[in-house]
Amino acid sequence: MMQANRRKKNALRSRSEIILRSTVAAALVIFFFAFYFIPILIAFYGSFHLWNPLKGQFKYTGLKNWQTVLNNKLFWFSLKNTGLFSVAAVLARIVIGLLLASALFSRLVKAPSFLRTLYYLPTITPMVAVAFVWKNMYDPQFGLLNQLLGTKINWLFDGRYAMPAILLLTVWKDFGYAVVILLGGMYSLPMDCFEAAEIDGANAMQRFFGITLPLLRPTVIFIVITSFISYFQTYIPVMVLTQGGPGTKTHLASYLIFDQAFSKYNFGYASAMSFILFIIIAVLTGLSFKASGKNQL
Amino acid sequence: MKQLTQRAISLVLALAMLMAACGALAEDSTIIGSTIQYDTSKPVNNGEEISIEFWYWTGADKLFQAVADEYAAIHPNVKITLVENPYDDYWTKLPLALQGSDGPAIFNVHNSYHENIIGYMAPYEIPVEDLEADFVGVSAHIIDGKVYYTDYGMMTATMYYNKAMWEAAGLTEADIPKTWDEFREVAKKLTIRDENGSLVQAGFSFNGGAQGDVLGMQYQYGQNLFTADNKVSFNNDAIKAVIQRMKDIYEVDGSGDYNFGNNSGDNFGQGMIAMYLGWGFMHGLFQALWPETEFGSFEIPTPAEEIPYAYHRYNGESTFGVNKNAPAEQQAVAQDIVRFFLANDALQKRFVLANSVFPAKKSLAEDADIMSVSSIAVLASHIDRYIWPGPMPSAVENNMKIALEDIFYNGADIETALKNAEDTCNMELDGSEFVSVEPSYAYASEAK
Repeated sequence: MMQANRRKKNALRSRSEIILRSTVAAALVIFFFAFYFIPILIAFYGSFHLWNPLKGQFKYTGLKNWQTVLNNKLFWFSLKNTGLFSVAAVLARIVIGLLLASALFSRLVKAPSFLRTLYYLPTITPMVAVAFVWKNMYDPQFGLLNQLLGTKINWLFDGRYAMPAILLLTVWKDFGYAVVILLGGMYSLPMDCFEAAEIDGANAMQRFFGITLPLLRPTVIFIVITSFISYFQTYIPVMVLTQGGPGTKTHLASYLIFDQAFSKYNFGYASAMSFILFIIIAVLTGLSFKASGKNQL
Repeated sequence: MKQLTQRAISLVLALAMLMAACGALAEDSTIIGSTIQYDTSKPVNNGEEISIEFWYWTGADKLFQAVADEYAAIHPNVKITLVENPYDDYWTKLPLALQGSDGPAIFNVHNSYHENIIGYMAPYEIPVEDLEADFVGVSAHIIDGKVYYTDYGMMTATMYYNKAMWEAAGLTEADIPKTWDEFREVAKKLTIRDENGSLVQAGFSFNGGAQGDVLGMQYQYGQNLFTADNKVSFNNDAIKAVIQRMKDIYEVDGSGDYNFGNNSGDNFGQGMIAMYLGWGFMHGLFQALWPETEFGSFEIPTPAEEIPYAYHRYNGESTFGVNKNAPAEQQAVAQDIVRFFLANDALQKRFVLANSVFPAKKSLAEDADIMSVSSIAVLASHIDRYIWPGPMPSAVENNMKIALEDIFYNGADIETALKNAEDTCNMELDGSEFVSVEPSYAYASEAK
């Protein structure tokens, strides 16, 4: 009798669990469809139209938007800028992240929790706020950067420095993310490998390049892929610091899309550009997986 | 006798009360305005309670509050809810709000967003000839015989100068330059460098906003901004001459520097530069943000002493729009507010002074208070020689900005940069409904 009751209770619990799980899963699927899949389909459909939602304009134009994008020199220039910017930002993020994560992992550093928190703080600060602070730091007259370096550089209006200035801000804001993820990866590594290597006489460098880095490979690839996806969508620092200038020197593809969609309300044209960017990100992500030698992280 | 006296007093008192009552009635039914008139005694919405929304963008709350308060004082049955939005958000939210029936009944207009809102606007119920009788520049706003908004003021560029720096350089009122050659000489005198040759005070600066200056100075050479088929024309001799002169002021005369401050308007207020070419609204901004900086204004110089085709372009500060999708009774109130605003000289004056614009209302053209604003007064003698190209899409200024940054900061040659900007701009304008109104300028026949 008691067993029957327990079975009944278990059955009820598992049924309620199934309902709960199904509800949560269904909610996520609905959310995904409503806010990702359907808008993507609408944007794809819209890319074949002269589309200005503010004027209620939605007129079929065939492949015109796509042809205009493919013939637009500024789009390709922005795409090249985006590629270079992303590679530099990802490299800096990984290198700084590895260096600082290793330092925190080595147990030679005091107060690692405090430092970990400190490094992560810029990551959780809103980009718009950070960008405005850095804009003041880059000011040629009273900016902190010129005062520290003793220079007279017009950082945001000099074509040689404007993009590196945006890059520096981006790296400063984002390196903490890599530190935390890599540190988490390091803590999960098997300690016996390190102990064995130490007994065999491997020095710190040998342990890092021989054990830590190969074992961290999935974590590094994860950071590379997520960083690429994120940096290919960068537009806020450009919007705040340079608005794509001087001239078009700091135009990034996502800024161009933002400008077309939300300054000029040319949604059809912006959608066509977005899809080209989407295809490029998908291809790069696929290549990253392939380069990792595995199909899973 | 006593009774007779009492009756006489009663009669006099009764007469006095009757006269007072008539006087009050006359006061209640005040009619304001000249050709466009507003009768304050006429009820709105039959005197029944009604609520409407009035949208405007940040920075003008006192002005719009004044309109709402003065109107509500006459019509207490009308509740006006003022809704303020930041400028950029305003132009995203407003056209979307106007698509439904619950959007604002009345809203503030900026003509650079004409294309996005004109489809949702109801024409004014005031006859066009009445508008033309009271306001200048109405003809440029007539669409199929109707007016959806017009200008209450005309804003243009004037040269601001720092009075203390002017005096310190030994300059007087007599030195105010008329031509660009004279201007360059004055700018040199106002420039100060330290012993290392570094700029301490710029005689003139256009950093951070030169596109607004350049797009207007080509008119001084008789060159329109748009071609007959509504294509933008950047790559022409007039604009090349304007840009070359700007380069020479920095590179040949040394009166300024591309890296001496990134916002010449702010830098003028901060006392870094002696002369600055800015639009009318800067007058109020300087007074509000940098009250310690004493400044004067003079009209933009010209290539020669003769009166040019046009001194510069102007842009109209627009009157309110009425939402054609709002319920009929709300639209009626909105139309009534428009009439009240257009007929009311005191409100017009308040808006004109707050934005330092030349009044479009003819009755205010010689108003002493308005003419005491130096940036307005300098325009008074030939305001007719300023041209409005029409509600230019933002692509025009954006592409000129890119061209100028390429020339000034990236070392591009003028012709290549202007050609690229012209091509890109015309590509972006493809499909736009913009129509230049340069041909309707009074002196259009003088264009080259």
